[in-house]
Amino acid sequence: MSTDHRRLGIIFFPAYDWAIDATHPEREERLLYTQDQLREEGIFDLPGISEHKPEVATAGMIERVHFCIPEVDAVTTPSHLIAAGGAVTAARLVMEKKVDRAFAMVRPPGHHAMKVVHGNRGFCSLNNEAVLVEYLREECGVRRIAIVDTDCHHGDGTQDIYWHDPEVLFISLHQDGRTIFPGTGFVRENGGPNAIGATVNIPLPPQTGDEGFLTVMERVVLPILEAFKPEIVINSAGQDNHYTDPITNMSFSAAGYARLNEMLNPHIAVLEGGYAIQGALPYTNLGICLAMAGHDFSAVREPDYDPERLRQSARVSEYIDTLCAQVMELHRRPPAPAGTPGEFAVRDKSIYYDTDGITEEQTERVLICRACAGLRIIETRASSFPLSICIEIPFAACRSCREAGEKHLREAKNSLRYRLIKLIDRPGKNVESFSDQDVSPRSKYFF
Amino acid sequence: MLLGIDVGGTHTDAVMIATNGIHAAAKVPTDHEDLLASVNAAIGEILRDVDPDAIRQINLSTTLTTNAIIEEKLEPVGMLVTGGPGIAPGHYTIGRHFHLLRGAIDHRGTEQEPLPDAELDAAVEACRAAGVRVFGAVTKFSPRNPVQEEQIVRRLQPDADFISIGHTLSGRLNFPRRVATAFYNSAVWRAYIDFIDAVETGVRKHGISARMDILKADGGTMPAAVSRTVPVQSILSGPAASIMGIVALCDIDEDAVILDIGGTTTDIAVFADGAPLVEPDGIAIGGHPTLVRAVITRSIGIGGDSEVVVENGDLRIGPRRRGPALACGGPVPTLIDAGNVTGTAQVGNPTASAAGFRELAAATGIDPEELARRAIARAMEQIRDAAHGLVTELNARPVYTIHELLTGKTLSPRQVYVMGGPAAVLAEPLAQAFGLPVTVPARHAVANAIGAALTRTTMEIELLADTERKELSIPNLDIRQKISFQFTLADAVAAGREHLLAFLRRQQIEDIDDDMIQVVEADSFNMISNYFTVGRNIRVSCQLKPSIRAAYREAVR
Ligand SMILES: [Zn+2]
Ligand SMILES: [Zn+2]
Repeated sequence: MSTDHRRLGIIFFPAYDWAIDATHPEREERLLYTQDQLREEGIFDLPGISEHKPEVATAGMIERVHFCIPEVDAVTTPSHLIAAGGAVTAARLVMEKKVDRAFAMVRPPGHHAMKVVHGNRGFCSLNNEAVLVEYLREECGVRRIAIVDTDCHHGDGTQDIYWHDPEVLFISLHQDGRTIFPGTGFVRENGGPNAIGATVNIPLPPQTGDEGFLTVMERVVLPILEAFKPEIVINSAGQDNHYTDPITNMSFSAAGYARLNEMLNPHIAVLEGGYAIQGALPYTNLGICLAMAGHDFSAVREPDYDPERLRQSARVSEYIDTLCAQVMELHRRPPAPAGTPGEFAVRDKSIYYDTDGITEEQTERVLICRACAGLRIIETRASSFPLSICIEIPFAACRSCREAGEKHLREAKNSLRYRLIKLIDRPGKNVESFSDQDVSPRSKYFF
Repeated sequence: MLLGIDVGGTHTDAVMIATNGIHAAAKVPTDHEDLLASVNAAIGEILRDVDPDAIRQINLSTTLTTNAIIEEKLEPVGMLVTGGPGIAPGHYTIGRHFHLLRGAIDHRGTEQEPLPDAELDAAVEACRAAGVRVFGAVTKFSPRNPVQEEQIVRRLQPDADFISIGHTLSGRLNFPRRVATAFYNSAVWRAYIDFIDAVETGVRKHGISARMDILKADGGTMPAAVSRTVPVQSILSGPAASIMGIVALCDIDEDAVILDIGGTTTDIAVFADGAPLVEPDGIAIGGHPTLVRAVITRSIGIGGDSEVVVENGDLRIGPRRRGPALACGGPVPTLIDAGNVTGTAQVGNPTASAAGFRELAAATGIDPEELARRAIARAMEQIRDAAHGLVTELNARPVYTIHELLTGKTLSPRQVYVMGGPAAVLAEPLAQAFGLPVTVPARHAVANAIGAALTRTTMEIELLADTERKELSIPNLDIRQKISFQFTLADAVAAGREHLLAFLRRQQIEDIDDDMIQVVEADSFNMISNYFTVGRNIRVSCQLKPSIRAAYREAVR
């Protein structure tokens, strides 16, 4: 067991006065028993561990990440801005060297929130990790970042946001999409044409236990991280792989979560899902805190923990062996970059916002580019909002992608086809939103 | 009349206060080897001017437990503890007779693993063999279910002189703090009991039959009878007595900084809307965080006797004290000497101060008076920075609701109150440094004894009602009772107030009104299972805040 303690900052914000609705899993007391456990264990008195208040994310922090339709206020409540702000606070504490590691234990979660936001899906409205990543890139000069998503559900929102970005590695371990929401995250989803290999999906069979998760860490996650050499590693720390979780089918334990975090050693962790609020979260959160702070977690276990009963079957182990080999094969020999630079790659998507009952149809075009993440143009039409267009000139965009972005913005304005025209111009540090009624643009500078 | 006695580090102060004024005051040196003699001497002085029958109430603040802990005069304590799963036992092991037993209780209060009687027997035998007579019985989550603490107590009772029982010390959750609190409580128990017995005997001998309360570090008092089971609560009551003295002497209703400037240090406290702020969890004792609540204070190594040094042309003040001021026959120039030079102070022999500063200034080429002015300004800026640091820290304290995060109060001091020997000398430079009005209360020199005399009982309770289990508990009052499934948050608040008031009445604490009880927290959470509400988890925390006996306020102004 490691004995070198690290300074860990915990941003604990349970939002005791907010719920999606009274019986929804994402409700007031989700972190109540976790707080009881952390307090009773005396976590905040341990050497090096400190507790911090979250900041409230500014509209600028959100608007450089998401296209909120029609605007940030329409799709968020203060709870979302505080959860995203908590993630930023975690990054700020680490970057200002006030702590070595930080854990944003905030709610609601964010990893199902995609680039375009019409509403809430999978309990998420804003992608907390993406807001934090763009803070790191825009305000701290960090370039290479890895997000490892250990929530039981595929982090389809985070994948969507970084699908084309070669500088943000996204690795998701989750229950196989054929058996659970959101139904995506298969091995062959490994990044857009400008970022092949920068997305890694590891869909695990139901009843995967500690052994399976830790095998995947050792054989897949750590080697791929080693090769990518990120400056900052973020754990998108969902805890719904726990064997008691009411909405999933896995067999992971608190000790397993602690060990996973010890192996991953993330700079920053952000709480995602996890709805066994009495039987799992008090123990998984305790384990993760101790592991991140480099304290002994060998005595952390759930009252009903029975390693024999939770042991994964030989069939599951075999399946995972094959899966690891398959993912590493794809990692070592990725397909050649598709398409011709200067042309658009197109994908069509249908998105369902389960919480809000909204359906959305998207056509996304990305300029194939070997020099940057590529100009991204999304046409979106939702059951709640008419056809609109979103243009993103990405972070560190090359000159030709910038020029193409300006040209497409002019064309969109002249076409008169769109209710809303939205622009994120990262190199220009500018976001704009034009409605079809507006004569002059409403421009917002986030710097 | 009320008699307040503060046994301090150097002096023992006593004052006698009636509603029409201060009737007597005494100051005697504190004899560290015999605190009892100091108490008796102070009472003797007071009784020269006052009839013992006129005394209605004695409040005593004593350094006895503080000294016992600092000097490590601690009795061996047998700690019988069940920890169960969680943090490593190394984080809460304390003392040489620490027995970690099997057994576990979870956060809902369910006994997950029993405590085996055989293990308990063996531990008790080991303690008996070692001659241990006082104990601590502490289990994780005992405020949620004290069953294993009660099992330990039953086994110990025939053999123990005293047992500190975890859940009765505080209803707050923090197992390592509960362990340390129980340990120190038992470790000082015998010395404390002997002292209190002797004080009570001495008081009776003086012909006083009044009731006696003991000061705590949170700025309030507890009945002497109660203090016999929680002697650790009497620790560090001195600074709190001084702060309550300021509350009595001034009309404070704003955010304010309180400074107590001594010879070597300055204690800083912060008031929110006129009330002192108390540490939410508790202070550390002997390096161990505990559940003993205390007024929040920070100490900085600057006081009237702090040495003024010129180092490589740079001024430095403190933290060292080499003795009193030059003006009082000391060896080196101090802040008091600086005051003499600038003319704000008239202490002792000013020519000695002037000579000292001439010598200091010679190396710098600065005019001695200017140097003295700069030394004072620098020292006051350091105090200001420490006070600002404390305010920033308090404003950064976590909150747990969106409402508090978005609309919560931000401390912003509007006034500075100063007490202590050098207070008057430093008032003007402090006003300069803080940019705020500075008040030095007229009787600040006896603020500690006035605070001791006039402060009142404090008490806090944590109530948990679980309508799924149909159970209500208030751990530190040892109350557990049945409730119905329909029990509401309003019922819980009413029950909390009622039980707290009933406890106070049982202690014969008079003139407590219902409206003095403050509800600090009142939350009700739905407990859901498979999308159905199966009950409510209700949490209420009530307290009787530190306050001053209003009827006597005018008497001390
Ligand atoms: Zn999830
Ligand atoms: Zn490009």
